[in-house]
Parts: sequence; C-alpha cells; structure tokens
Amino acid sequence: MTFPYGKAPFWILVLTLLSASVIVALRTGRTTERPDLVFCIFADNHVAAYRKAIAEFEKTHHVKIQLQMLGYDAFTSRLQSAMLTGAEVPDMVELLISTMGYFTRGPLEEVGFVDLTDRLRKEGLYGRMVEERFSVWSSRGHVFALPHDVHPVMLFYRRDLIDRLGIKVDDLKTWDDFTAMGRRITKDLDGDGIPDRYAIDLDSKGGEFLQMLLLQRGGGLFDAGGSVTFDTPLTADTILWYLHVMRGPHRIGFEAGWGQSLAKAVNDGLVLFFVCPDWRSKQFELDVPNLSGQVALMPLPAWAPGGRRTSTWGGTGLAITKACRNQDLAWEFAKFLYLKKEELGERFRDTSILSALKDSWDMPAFDEPRAFYSGQPIGRLYAGLAPRIPACYVSPYTQLAGAKLTEAYLNAAEYFDKHGDEGLRDFIDRELARCAQYVRTVMQRNVFLRPEAPGSREGAR
Amino acid sequence: MNDLRKRPAGGRSARWTPWVFLAPYLALTAVFFVYPFINAVLLAFQQTNGPRSHVWVGLDNFRFVLSDPDFYTALWNTTVYALVSVFVQLPLALGLALMLNAGRSRLKGFFRLLLFSPNLVGQIFVGVIFSVIFMPRYGMFNQFLQALIGWGLEERWLSNPSLVMPALIVTSLWLYVGFNMIYFLAALQNVEKDLVEAATVDGAGPWRVFWHVTLPSIKPVAVFVVVMSTIGSYQLFELPYALLKGFGPKNSGLTIVGYLYNTAFAAGDLGTGSAVGWILALIIAVISLAQLRISHAARE
Amino acid sequence: MNAWHGMILAAAAVYVALRLARRKASTVYARYLLLAVASGLVLSPFVWLVCSAFKDKDVLMQFTFLPPVRDWSPDTVNLQNFRDLFSGQQTAQGTVYFWEYIVNSLFLAGAGTIIPLFFCSLGGYALAKFRFRAKKLLMAFMLATMMMPGMLFLAPVYRMIYQLGWMDTYWALLVPGAVNVFGMFLFRQAITAVPDSLIEAARMDGAGEFGIYLHVVMPLVRPMSAAFCLIAFLGAWNAFVGPQVFLQTQSKLTLPVVLNQSLGLYVQHYGTYMAGTLLAIIPPAVLFFALQKEFVAGLTSGAVKG
Repeated sequence: MTFPYGKAPFWILVLTLLSASVIVALRTGRTTERPDLVFCIFADNHVAAYRKAIAEFEKTHHVKIQLQMLGYDAFTSRLQSAMLTGAEVPDMVELLISTMGYFTRGPLEEVGFVDLTDRLRKEGLYGRMVEERFSVWSSRGHVFALPHDVHPVMLFYRRDLIDRLGIKVDDLKTWDDFTAMGRRITKDLDGDGIPDRYAIDLDSKGGEFLQMLLLQRGGGLFDAGGSVTFDTPLTADTILWYLHVMRGPHRIGFEAGWGQSLAKAVNDGLVLFFVCPDWRSKQFELDVPNLSGQVALMPLPAWAPGGRRTSTWGGTGLAITKACRNQDLAWEFAKFLYLKKEELGERFRDTSILSALKDSWDMPAFDEPRAFYSGQPIGRLYAGLAPRIPACYVSPYTQLAGAKLTEAYLNAAEYFDKHGDEGLRDFIDRELARCAQYVRTVMQRNVFLRPEAPGSREGAR
Repeated sequence: MNDLRKRPAGGRSARWTPWVFLAPYLALTAVFFVYPFINAVLLAFQQTNGPRSHVWVGLDNFRFVLSDPDFYTALWNTTVYALVSVFVQLPLALGLALMLNAGRSRLKGFFRLLLFSPNLVGQIFVGVIFSVIFMPRYGMFNQFLQALIGWGLEERWLSNPSLVMPALIVTSLWLYVGFNMIYFLAALQNVEKDLVEAATVDGAGPWRVFWHVTLPSIKPVAVFVVVMSTIGSYQLFELPYALLKGFGPKNSGLTIVGYLYNTAFAAGDLGTGSAVGWILALIIAVISLAQLRISHAARE
Repeated sequence: MNAWHGMILAAAAVYVALRLARRKASTVYARYLLLAVASGLVLSPFVWLVCSAFKDKDVLMQFTFLPPVRDWSPDTVNLQNFRDLFSGQQTAQGTVYFWEYIVNSLFLAGAGTIIPLFFCSLGGYALAKFRFRAKKLLMAFMLATMMMPGMLFLAPVYRMIYQLGWMDTYWALLVPGAVNVFGMFLFRQAITAVPDSLIEAARMDGAGEFGIYLHVVMPLVRPMSAAFCLIAFLGAWNAFVGPQVFLQTQSKLTLPVVLNQSLGLYVQHYGTYMAGTLLAIIPPAVLFFALQKEFVAGLTSGAVKG
C-alpha cells in the first residue's frame, strides 16, 4: 500500500515521529528538580567561574542553585517580555549597563528588582566598593544591582612596532600629543592611496567610543538627576576632535571592528593603538595569542595636562528580582560571588576584570606580571586608575540618547565632508540641541516619570 | 469557474460541514488573534508600565508617532525597499524565469535549484553571513568590488548611513529574486505555446509577444506576486535586524516594523508600539487595495 | 545606484531575457552565459560559507576563500569548527550536545509542517467546495488579518502563552502556528480545480464529508501538498523570533537560536557559526531537491488567483 498524499508529507511525518521519540527518550533521562535559586547569566566566562564556586555555597547553605546561560539578545528580550506581561522571571540576573535603564522606566515601587540601597548601607559596602560604580545601577538615588566591576579604560598598543617607530608612550600625555604622533605614523605604505597604518582604532560612527571619551573629560549623556546633558560645548568640542581624527586626508583613526576583524588589523599593524577597558584585554589575549610579549597597555592620554588618564566603559551588575521568594538567600549568594576577596583574585587571573570591591585589589594576582603584555602587571595598572574613573549615569533613555548622539555626530560628519571646518562648530551645536531636544520630548511623554505620579492608575492584576 | 459549484453540495449535513472544517482556524483565531487584537486596540490609547499600571492617554500615542521624524525615516526606508522589490527585484526575477523557461529541461532544473537556494537559508543566518561579507577590507563583497571596479575596499556598508539601504537591498535581491522567479516560472509553464508560436509566425517581435500574449496569461500570478511582495516589504524586520544588529546608524536601515519593535520592546512603550502597528496595518491595507483596484481596472 | 537606475536596469534585464528566449543557436549560448553569471553571483556567498566553515579561526580573515593549496595544513584547513560545535555544552540540565538541537529543530519543523498541512487543507477545502453564509465576509476578514504586522500582537500573545502555562514548551510554537491564512488560501486555489463530479460521485456512494476530504480531495492535490510542505518546513526550520522568545531551557532550544547564542557579546566565533549554518542548510536543501517538480507545479495551482 502506498501513502496516498505524496512522498513529502510521508517522509516529514516519519521524521517528526522519529525525532519526537528521541526527544521523549532524552527528556525522561533528565530529571529536573526545582532549585532554590535560578540565576540567569549571559556571559560564558562568568558562568564558568561561578560554576566552579557554586558547590561550596550549596554545601554550606544546603540549597540547590541553577545557573542558566543565555545569549544576551535572547536573555534581554525574554526578561523584557516577562516584565512587560508579568510572566515568570528568574530569581537573580546579571545585567549589562545598557539594559538596566529599561527596567527603571516606571515608578520606583514598580521596578522589577529589589532595592538594594538599605542592604548596601547597612553592610558598609559604600565605602568598600568604588562608589562611582553605584551610579550605573541607580535610579532616582536607589541602587538596584550590585556592581560586578569597575572597567577602567587604558590604551592597548603594539609595543614592538611603536618601539621601532621610535615613539615613547610616556610622552603621549595628552590627546594633542597623541594626535601629533598619529599624524606622523599614519601612512600609505604600498602606494595605493589607502593608508595601511593607522594610529588608532575608533568607531567610525562615534558610538560608545565617543561616549567613553566624553565621560573621560567630565561630560556624559545624563546627569545624576537623569536630565539630558549632551548638548554642551564640551560635547561639541569632543565631536570636533573626533571628526578630525576619523575623517579627511589627515585622519589617524580607522574602525577595525571587533573580535576577529580587530585581531587581524592589529596583527597586520593596520592599527597600532586601541581603546582597551579591562574586559577587552583578556578577549584580545585569547583572540591573538601569537602577539604575546609584543604588546602593552598605557593610560589614556588626558584632555588637558594633568587631567584624568582613564575613563569607564560598560559594566555588569547583579540584580535580584522582586519575584524571588528567598531574597535573603539571593543576597547572600550575590555577596558570595561578588565580594569574596580570594575568589576575586583568582577570577582576575581568568578574566582580567577588575572587581568593584577595593579590598580585593590587594590580592597577589593583581601584581603578577603578564607575559602577553610584555611583563606588565596589568592588574596593578587598572587598579591604579580605578579610583579616578568618572561616574556614569544611566537612564531609561540611555539607548535613545546614545543613538541620537550618534545621529548628531554622523550629520556633523556629513557636513564636515562637504564643507570642511567652515561653520562646522555652529552646525554641531545646532545638531546637538536638536537631538537633545528630541530625547527630552520622548522623556516628557513618559507619564510614569513625571514628578507628579499619575493619579488615575488602574490596577489590572 | 464550474457550474456545479453554484449548487450547495450535499444534503442537510452540508450546512454545518464547512464550519466544522474551519473550526480549528476559527478557534485559534479567536484565541490568538481576536483577544490580542482587542488588547492592541486598547493599548494604542494607553501608556503602560508592565502589566500593573496603565494610563489612558487618548490620541497622544498617534499624535507622537505622526509627528516623530524617526517614523517618517522608517516609512521612507520601507517605501524605498518596497518600490525596489516591485520594480527591480520582480522584473529581474521575471527576466530569469523567461530565460530559464526557454531552456532545456535538464539544465533548467539545475539552474532553478541554484537560483532558489538562498531561500533555504533562514533570514537570521543570511543577516549574519552578509554582515561578515560586507566587512571593510576583509569582507568578500568589498574585495570583489575592489578587484572589479577599484573601489569599495574600505567602504562601511553596514555603518555608513548612505550605504546601509543599498546593502540591505543587495542582500534582499540575493535572497528573494530566486523565490519570485519560481512563481513566474510556474506561471510561464501555463502560457500556451501555440499562442506564442502563432504570434511569432505573424511577425510579432519578442517585446510585442511578451506584452500581448505572455504578460496577460501570467497576470494573475504577477498580481499575486506584486501584492505579496509589497505586503512582505512593509513587514520587513528580521533581515535588517540580523544584518545591522539593530537598524543602522541614524536609523538608516530602520523599517516600520523595526520602529514598532524599538518603541514597543526596546523602549518598553507598548502603547506607542500599538499605535505604530495600526498605522502600518492601515498603510498596508490601502496599498494592497489600490494594487488590486489597478489590476482590476487594467483588465477592463 | 539609486532606484531609477535600478528600474532601468531591471527593464533592460527583461528585454534582454526576451531577446535571448528565442531559439536561435547564438542566443542559446548567450542565455546560458547570463544564467551562469547570475548563478555565480547567487552561489558566491555559499562558496564563501563553505570555505569559512572549514578554515581554522586563526586564518579566517586571512583569506577571502581558502588559503592557496600549498598553505594547506591542519593549522589552516581543518574540521575544528565542527568539532567545537559538536563538543558538549555545560548547562543546568547537564551536558547538552549539538545534535540534540538538531533533533529539536527537526521535530519542530516536522510537526510545524504536518499539523498546518492538515488544518490548512481542511479549511481550504471548506472554502473551495462549500457555499455557506458569511463566506465572503470570512474571506475578507482572513485577508485583512494577513495585513496585520505580527509584531503588534507579540506582547499580548506572550501574556496569553504564559497564562496558558505554555512558556518553555513546544505547545507555544505548535498551537498558534497550527493553521494559517496563507496556507488555507493556497489549498483553496488547488482544491477549486478538483472536479465537483468526483466529489458528488463519492457522496452518492455514501462517503462522509471527512472521508471525501481524506480519500478523494487530498490525494488529488498532492503537488500542492508538496509545495506547502516545502514552504512550511522552511518557515518552521528557520523560525527565530518565536523559539527565541518562548523557549528557555537550553536542551529545548533550536538550531537558529543556539547558533545565534554562539555569537556572544564579546566573543564571536564566526567559523563555528558558519559551520553550524552549513549544517542548518542541509535538511531544507534535501527537501527542495526532492520536491522541485511538485513545488513548481503546486505553486502553479496555488498562485492562480481570480
């Protein structure tokens, strides 16, 4: 007898039944008992480190903890949808700075995370951790996550090639020094009209690189009160500088991208410097092991002589959701992961990420010379800069403001390409004012963030 | 079409039979369409923060969207994309189908498989593949361009605002030309060979034969394909999302559904997102009806 | 290139195609040459994809395609990407292997094809061969639903799935996708062409309405079934947003979701990703290869709208 509906439905049916039986067989082999805490993480190096540490905590507290690893996009979209619709969420999550704002767009009492401010104060953690870092995880003066890291920024460079070019990095004290040096070494080496050696890797769209530079000189997208602050002369100056670095015949910057693309560019000597927060130093080491001993780190050049030689970029924090049934246990676990000196020293060896806990920097791991970075004790270098990092204020509209700053920068770039410096400064001022105004308009639409809370709130529980 | 169809089939049972057969659709629609539909209507007039609080804001969401320059950027990008789909991509697909239809059958199958093959790859994969192919200096596309016309090695297809749409269009051409070609190919096989032969014998040039014989007989399919690709264009989301990891600098690759996603999910403002959705539904309805009208008018 | 240039180019392409569609020997070669060029353009990303999958990550960016043959060695061209892919992954459910995601994807794509095949053809039959009140209204409604952007309903549907307790289950994907308007319209078109006399005859013989659908109608629209299978399978196999939003447990995830997870925030292993993509293309490719003829025939019967 033949199957009367054609071979396609037949084979697909067979396939479905076969795969269904495999899935059923696998499921029955896996027993899942309900853990006491579910902790969601998006970075695989964190998962690996926590998995190592978790057994001890489980034994001393007689509990079971489940670590869930998720891709970042999947993680945020799921957490956001769950919060939007009131669906189930994990007990604890690690968040990135860029998504934190999303969860604080409503009234304070409706933020989906536990307010940690009192716990932090009671346990004296304000003094023990880098205080500027609480800015990232705060909304209206309340802290909603425990900071994982500091993320000071340095400059990475090809020590071998820079030496060969006769450049002393100690002389690069300001960005003016740096651009002067950059103009000298950015060159077309094979005569095809396209430079084959650039001084520095920077984003051609401005983006987070521009924001990082802005933070370094005391600017930023928002102030502590959550107001938009990027339409200032300081931002205009920074854009002006950035334009001259990235565009025109005298440019010294090239966007080499990320990961394997950046690795190749640095390997080829296409870019000699790149902006390197602590988290990037380890990634690069893993991406390009063959450059070991030929590279090094230096502090960022300052904007004015004697100025701040670092900035901050990115960040992770641990938040406990309000849905968590055992918040004290979660808090204990958070402290266990983030505040145990010995563990943090060990972890720095694995990840090169500087913890926000200042005591941990005494650990010997921070003084170890790293062969990859030509024997520099990079832990000491980053820790030395950490006390000077700028505060970085995050708002529910950080992403929007970032996109609008990029828009202002790109419009300025278009103007610069067409008209050069003539009237450029005025144009930038106008663009910044327009973009900042747009962000303010959107923010004013949010009835939940207005000083007078909406009276006509209806419950839809 | 058929005389018998006019008569109600079967006896008494026939009255409820079609409803039984349609029951699964009706049930699922009631649950997964009607409820969300009502919800989305109500949402469009509210501002919400999670499931707990919502505030009625009247027409404010619509007013904001219609005054938002970003919305018009999205509308413009999407319209450009739709126009390119209909006026560039479909003729290319038709051209390939015409050439293929004239060939021998063995090679025909071979080329058909090749040209259709991009559709076997999911949009999300296509986005990632092309984001590497468009890399400055190391990307295949940039190296091809440099080798062929001596330009393009350092062009940033995915981060230069004026190159984002072209990159998106190149990717979508790669993806969809083969798909629409299959539709045209299917239609061309129904064109009566005798008519074409007769017209050719009468001395009509290929252009005239195409215009007077081929095109009228593939018209139903052509209308179908035009309407479907217009609707598809206005609902474009996954491809730019994967290709640009967002919607491009200065919203240069922002589509309307992308704008909906940004407001509703990335910014968490479901109310404004719903308003965008309704405006989009209206746009699609108007355009589809207009297209059907035009094709009806052309028939008379 | 702006849109006008594109249109002129496209019109030229149709014209050239018409010129070349004639059966003169000289045009035959030109036609094949053009087709070959077009195929080459279409094929080049695939060639690149295959090369990337087999290149070691250290030389991925070094060469556009593969390194020259004299540089081939286990350090440049190898199976490391595939080995990385298939090495197990530590998760909360213990070690999960890559082939498990393949099985999940196969199941979801298979069930996501068979179930709508049944319901869409059933509905299509009702629309094609029965007259009933409000039919016109119903079809207008169906058309209208096709114009609604799905994104509009994502949040309410998400809430509904949660309330039904279907989060992190395959029901969340299979049930809402069990029937769709597009499929019903395709089958309506195909079934309209089935002669009424056959249906009448079966009815005379005392066959039930469902029996007629099963034994008379469905065997006659086999090409449409094949075309539908291919379209539905492609859609379900490559589905991304739904599985990404509704599935949580690692061991339940599907290929597209897992592969996109592998493009981490900080580390992007493009080689592994491309190896996975290559594997993800194989099932739909096999299906298309097997169904080519029926697919084209099915579309012919389906797409002809009055």
